[in-house]
Amino acid sequence: MTKVVITGMGAVSACGIGAEALMQATQIGQSGVRGVLFSEIENQRVMTAAALEPGIKEQINTDLGHRMREPVANYALVAAREAVAQAGLGPEDFGDRCAVSIGSGFGGAQTVNTNYIKFGAEGSMRLDPMAVPKIMNNAAASWVSMEFGATGPAYCLATACSSASQSIGLGYHLVRSGAVDRCLAGGAEACLEGGVFRVWELLRVMTADKNRPFSKDRNGMTLGEGAGVFVLESEESARARGAEILCELTGYGTNSDAGDLLRPNPMRAAACMSLALEDAGLEPSDIGYVNAHGTGTVANDVNEVIALREVFGETLQGVEVSSTKPVHGHALGAAGALELVVCIGALREQSAPPTINFNEIDPKIGLDPVSNCARPLTTRAVMSNSLAFGGINATLILKSHG
Amino acid sequence: MSTDRGTLTQELLDLVADEGMVEVSEIAPEKRLEDLDIQSADFVMILMAIEEKYNVYISVDNELSDVETVQDLLNLVIGKIEQEQAAQA
Repeated sequence: MTKVVITGMGAVSACGIGAEALMQATQIGQSGVRGVLFSEIENQRVMTAAALEPGIKEQINTDLGHRMREPVANYALVAAREAVAQAGLGPEDFGDRCAVSIGSGFGGAQTVNTNYIKFGAEGSMRLDPMAVPKIMNNAAASWVSMEFGATGPAYCLATACSSASQSIGLGYHLVRSGAVDRCLAGGAEACLEGGVFRVWELLRVMTADKNRPFSKDRNGMTLGEGAGVFVLESEESARARGAEILCELTGYGTNSDAGDLLRPNPMRAAACMSLALEDAGLEPSDIGYVNAHGTGTVANDVNEVIALREVFGETLQGVEVSSTKPVHGHALGAAGALELVVCIGALREQSAPPTINFNEIDPKIGLDPVSNCARPLTTRAVMSNSLAFGGINATLILKSHG
Repeated sequence: MSTDRGTLTQELLDLVADEGMVEVSEIAPEKRLEDLDIQSADFVMILMAIEEKYNVYISVDNELSDVETVQDLLNLVIGKIEQEQAAQA
């Protein structure tokens, strides 16, 4: 079976531009969460998000400004350019043998928001004539394909918080099956817009305090935004190009709960992790670190810890677990991609990034995660989980190469 | 807005009945929300109405995870409202 390797990665997040900035911030526990204020929200309740630094946001949208493109596609392009540059891909490496698989939860949220306000609140019929191509969920994937001339299959999975992990998983399947030689895979989200933020407030899963996954005093999640893109390719093609291999993408599992739209089922999350382990040909004891979905909501945290114990044993001995969402936020359709960058950082540094803001073990779940300070690791394999609304689970496993 | 606990309690019971789509006569403090068939989707409606009327944000999270009965919900909400009123004063 063809081995799938990662030769490039790129990221845009609240921690700044670049995969390195994200890996550094998660290792030292420096949060990108900042104050956000939406003029359209009367009495805004939740005052923070892991938003891009305003200057960086403006810079990206100025530099990449195009009348048919909005922030979500701009973020994807910035991340993809970084990944492609690191992988050292040239024009001859794209074409029909290169796929694109970039997911998004909300697509062009800024365009939806501004045009609905003009249409509904201001009664204007003079809307953005390019709203449709900006809003469509596959815009980011298509812009990335056009940027590089990647004329193989292009996909956009919109599976909420599992969009990016499933998109990377799909790219992995395409490369492993031999359908393509390489794939630009990841996720993008630019959901921090008034209307979107307000409906998240109304679902009441966001905290008005700090995001504290697994902590007894956790009280919800913090939204984020950004993009993460990887160059996945067959080991043969990477070798033939003489590319530097960052690590191996060795396992992928995905399944669904087919139960409740919002309430997760721990047995299905456990089955998903087991599928990924089986796919990788690894035992639970081979995994040194799990980057948990760890949103900091009671529904996720309780569910995920039950699932982890089911897979790794009641005591979770030998495996470090943390959630880095208090640093980069819950970036929804980009979450799995940002967190896979974090996992590559953990593997490379042999250091498990901390769950910051953690105060106290919750007796209800009894998990003592890597809290507040990074912990040294000695491992060749790490796992990342995404557990989405809609009951869609996805697990990716990375392994050191060579 | 009333600061009187009795009035506040009655207002909240009416609100829970309205938003949870339950007959107000069926609601009593000791009743379990589950037995009244008030589910998580009803909770977000109830909490939205509480936010509109009393200006308090309660997330469907830790604060709510121990709430089982109508009285538990009343205690949590009244506590939050009094906190908000104290902050405004």
